[in-house]
Amino acid sequence: MSVLGIHRKLEENAGLLIFGILIVSSIGGLVQVLPSIFQDELVSPSVETQPYGALALVGRDIYIREGCSTCHSQQVRPLLAEVKRYGPFSSAGESAYDRPFLWGSKRTGPDLHRVGAKYSDAWQRVHLIDPRSVVPKSIMPAYPWLAEKPADPRNTIQTRMRRLQILGHPYTEEQIANAPERVAGKTELDAIVAYLAVLGEAAGLAEGMVH
Amino acid sequence: MPLDFWAGWIAVLTVVSLVGLAWVIYGVYFGKRPVGEDEESPTIWDENLREGKHPAPMWWFWTMLASLVFTLVYLILYPGLGSFSGTFHWSQGGELDERLATHESTFGVRRHEIARMDLAVIREDELLMRAAKRVFDRQCAACHGLDAGGQAGMFPNLRDDSWQWGSTPEAIEKSIRDGRHGIMVGWHSVLNRTEASQLTQYTVALASSTPSAHPGKAKYDELCVACHGPDGKGSEALGAPDLTTGTYTYGGGVLAIKETLLYGREGVMPAFGDMLDDMQIRLLVAWLTKGQ
Repeated sequence: MSVLGIHRKLEENAGLLIFGILIVSSIGGLVQVLPSIFQDELVSPSVETQPYGALALVGRDIYIREGCSTCHSQQVRPLLAEVKRYGPFSSAGESAYDRPFLWGSKRTGPDLHRVGAKYSDAWQRVHLIDPRSVVPKSIMPAYPWLAEKPADPRNTIQTRMRRLQILGHPYTEEQIANAPERVAGKTELDAIVAYLAVLGEAAGLAEGMVH
Repeated sequence: MPLDFWAGWIAVLTVVSLVGLAWVIYGVYFGKRPVGEDEESPTIWDENLREGKHPAPMWWFWTMLASLVFTLVYLILYPGLGSFSGTFHWSQGGELDERLATHESTFGVRRHEIARMDLAVIREDELLMRAAKRVFDRQCAACHGLDAGGQAGMFPNLRDDSWQWGSTPEAIEKSIRDGRHGIMVGWHSVLNRTEASQLTQYTVALASSTPSAHPGKAKYDELCVACHGPDGKGSEALGAPDLTTGTYTYGGGVLAIKETLLYGREGVMPAFGDMLDDMQIRLLVAWLTKGQ
């Protein structure tokens, strides 16, 4: 049958048309997405990558809640300028315990994937509460309430870790048992600073940062 | 499933879609029209909806043909078809390595030269000092301030003469490379109110003299002497500040000093040895010691 004949048939039969559209629009996903799910180097953690500790995990959720990823990406691309500025480029395995991943696509502020080693915790605290007290020209909003609120008031840390465990994060029973103790008495500020401090820890610090 | 399977999967699906696309484009422009269809007898839908059978404009055809040709050329030259790496053998990592190598061969010699340069020579060179200030602005100013005068009541002033970990170029370089971790213990569980006040006054007094008969001296000799020394001169090896200079990282007021000795302080200088190269560190050391 000629192409125009098939076209006519599709146009006159809505069910067939829907089926045809599904086939055509799935090709991109079948080629780009499906194979990567089975590609080990993309889905298994790189050697140094560890699941987040209890406090850092709470901090990560606060990072998501405050929308940090709308202005800060977490992916150093394999480009000269980025590698020189931030450190080794990000690899897929580093995000194995990031659910959801926070790669982001916009940089109003700098990339944070390698920020862990760069600042002391004390600086992060001062900077989150009042960015302009340390970086006069910063346009980052201040987050003073972080210091006032408890990190995990409803004590949900064990539930969060159990759910991630189902998804394959290798938390030990001991880690889960100790989790409430690690979070107890901490503020949201403590948690988010703990999270920022481990960002990029898995990055080839072992192989030496390229700068 | 093995990687080979998925490589083949990608290649086959890509080629099949491209062939299918070419077939559709060809059919639309040059294929046979179904019986009873031509431009003069349009199909009528819903009684009066006329569908013209004019062929699509030819510039669409040429655009699609050009896209197809581009795709084919691209898939031959660059990676795309499964595990076929393309005749250029291009890769993202390879491109980065190439650029890093070009960077090294363009600037490497000069950078290594500066890294070994005499500090006095660097300080004389206006261009190098400007470069040094740029490194400082990007890497150090977030804590120490753009004017290097310290900020936030906790990050040390780098313009004065008081250097808790030592002011020699070697000591400063070590601070930059390996970082520092200063801890002042808090004594609130050991001191009662009177003792705390007396010790505070003694600490303040140390800045101007070495008082021998002071009510705070007994406690000082008991608690503070191990790090800050009998005369309050401190210890660069321990990072214990000199208490006789009158400059204080965490504030020199009576209240600030009292808080320090009751609840302690902790200051961390991150290690930049992995983040900066030898030239950048050399420049920073030269810039920071320019007053000496």
